[in-house]
Amino acid sequence: MLVLEQLQRRFGDVIALDRLDLEVVAGELCGFVGPNGAGKTTAMRCAVGVTTPDAGTVAWEGRAVDLEVRRRIGYMPEERGLYPRMRVAEQLVYLARLHGLRSAEAAANVEFWLDRLGLTARRDSPVEELSLGNQQRVQLAAALVHDPVLLILDEPFSGLDPIAVDVMSEVLLERAAAGVAVVFSSHQLDLVEDLCRSVAVVDAGRVVLRGDVRELKRAGDRRLRVAVDGDPGWVAALPVDTEVVARVNGEVTVALGAEADPGEVIELARAGGPLLHVRLEEPRLSELFRDALQDRLPR
Amino acid sequence: MSPGTTVRLIAAREVRQRLRSKLFVGTTLVISALLTVLAALPALLGVFDPDEPAVDQPAEEADLPRLGVVGAMSVAERSAIEAAIGPIEVVEVADVDAGAAALTSATNDLVAVVGPGERVLVAPSGQLLRPGSVAATRVAEALALGELFSEEPDRVGEVLARPSLPVEEVGDVDPAEATARLVVANLGVVFLFAVLIMYASMIINGVIEEKGSRVVELLVATVPVRWLMTGKLLGLGIVGLLQTLTLFAPPLAVLLLPAGEAIPRGVGGLGVAIAGWFVAGYALYAVIAAGLGSLVSRPEEAQAVLTPANVLMIGGYLVGFLAINAPSSTFAVVASFVPFSAPYAMLVRQALAAPAWWEVAAAAALTLSSAAALTVGAARIYEGGILRTGARVRLREAWRAG
Ligand SMILES: Nc1ncnc2c1ncn2[C@@H]1O[C@H](COP(=O)(O)OP(=O)(O)O)[C@@H](O)[C@H]1O
Ligand SMILES: [Mg+2]
Repeated sequence: MLVLEQLQRRFGDVIALDRLDLEVVAGELCGFVGPNGAGKTTAMRCAVGVTTPDAGTVAWEGRAVDLEVRRRIGYMPEERGLYPRMRVAEQLVYLARLHGLRSAEAAANVEFWLDRLGLTARRDSPVEELSLGNQQRVQLAAALVHDPVLLILDEPFSGLDPIAVDVMSEVLLERAAAGVAVVFSSHQLDLVEDLCRSVAVVDAGRVVLRGDVRELKRAGDRRLRVAVDGDPGWVAALPVDTEVVARVNGEVTVALGAEADPGEVIELARAGGPLLHVRLEEPRLSELFRDALQDRLPR
Repeated sequence: MSPGTTVRLIAAREVRQRLRSKLFVGTTLVISALLTVLAALPALLGVFDPDEPAVDQPAEEADLPRLGVVGAMSVAERSAIEAAIGPIEVVEVADVDAGAAALTSATNDLVAVVGPGERVLVAPSGQLLRPGSVAATRVAEALALGELFSEEPDRVGEVLARPSLPVEEVGDVDPAEATARLVVANLGVVFLFAVLIMYASMIINGVIEEKGSRVVELLVATVPVRWLMTGKLLGLGIVGLLQTLTLFAPPLAVLLLPAGEAIPRGVGGLGVAIAGWFVAGYALYAVIAAGLGSLVSRPEEAQAVLTPANVLMIGGYLVGFLAINAPSSTFAVVASFVPFSAPYAMLVRQALAAPAWWEVAAAAALTLSSAAALTVGAARIYEGGILRTGARVRLREAWRAG
């Protein structure tokens, strides 16, 4: 298990991490989400030892992340980068060896991942001659080639086309199923919601929401989405423990607290005009994130 | 995995990548070939034949070479000298320094110290490189022979005209070796400067490549920055040594082999000294270049950020040149122990002034330990600078962040 505890880091006047906590369990895919500038990259850099936190600890399986542990981490930096003029296979072997693999092991792993990611034909091309999509695959291979027990990927989905998104999702799920602890950051909460077992939502350097995705959704305020062909004034009479959280294209989304009765809201809406559609759902992660933010801010 | 293994992996990659670059290997080979041809030209064209020393131009009446004499010079000695190099004008001077001061204006002036029981021939600065050096050699020989043939000064000329006469030493300096040493000192200083400048910019570009392509973040996630820097400097140092050998060994061989036995002993040892000071100087300046290189992300900014290193290198170079003129002065001695000028100044002293072995060892130790100390600082700057892409990082910020 990877545990970040009470991490703090400032850059001049900017507080990038403000007592951030995060846990990533082996065999689990953990999404690390939050808006730009929330501190995701800084936290991940602290986890791999690229940045030193001002305070707080980073531990893997109960021990501080030292060089030995860092060799077993697969890392994909937010700022992608490989040696542009070095050949694909040679570069991957080099990176695997820097992580402590013997030459034969490294070569075998490189062949495996080149094959798995469909790069075998380009194995001897300099990286700079590859298409952007293939360069992204090499970058992923670079994170995987030394059999890491912990994968830390910073925005791995950004800039990927839909097919590449599928490949990436598949590989991450497969690694998690193989017992690797996987954490990746993203600012797309919907993607995390579909893919991850657990999630940590970070804002302004601290985690505002974390836990099992399904449980979080179950525990959150349910959403009633209603569209009425008529006067939207009906929402003025909403009962207690309900709140309008969004209005998009005539559809009103009402958050229902634990005490609220969805039937009552639907009755109200019908009084406003004929119903066009009604949906009662668990909240989206993005909505939970917004709720969490509002709890922190004075209303 | 030990630090050694990691550093070796990193160094090996640097070497492999450079040696694979067709541009790098190609230009090196072409330049080496050009230099070799240039070195072979004098022999091919018969311009210079070591067996047949060039004959001095007969001096014009109005422009007789002047010989400053300290102490007494007998008529016989004067005749011997004139038999060797033609008519001279004798100027009496108080001492060697006064003579050097009075006589350095013309290219073929000489100062001779003729005291009781010893004779030392002093050529004013740079003299031995010019045609006058042949005269110096001959005067030295004539002075020695003049003693033997004091009754028949004319025979001195005859004897001197014979080839392969063993040259008798005047004082303890063999004039041929003195010439060679002066040449080595001059070339050595220029050579050191050229290669140090060249490899400083190679290092800075290597660092920028890693930083500019952002691959560095992937590397420092698993390799401590110090090891990364050490491996890089080691690898580029090996490439530098290989390239230097390729560039200069063939032309030097072409230049020196025909001379064969004629190369004075002791000059070969200076080759080792140059190689040694190259390594020490490289260690020192490479560390600085690496630290500074980590501050920028684009090659265009490299020269600007390299300025402090260049100033040090040019400073050391100038100090080395000044030391050639006065290899035994306090200035030269002090400069030979100051790390940044030591590679140049100590090399000059080794060539021209015979420092004690422990002085050389101390200067080398000082230079290398300065390099080691600077490594700590440079690694910190490297650590603070290497991850900050985009705008140039200020030195102080990098230091604080490192
Ligand atoms: N090296 C740095 N120097 C100065 N400020 C930084 C640096 N890295 C991050 N920051 C600042 O810290 C905050 C968090 O950034 P980051 O961790 O990159 O967030 P995220 O990855 O969630 O977008 C931002 O305000 C950012 O500007
Ligand atoms: Mg980020």
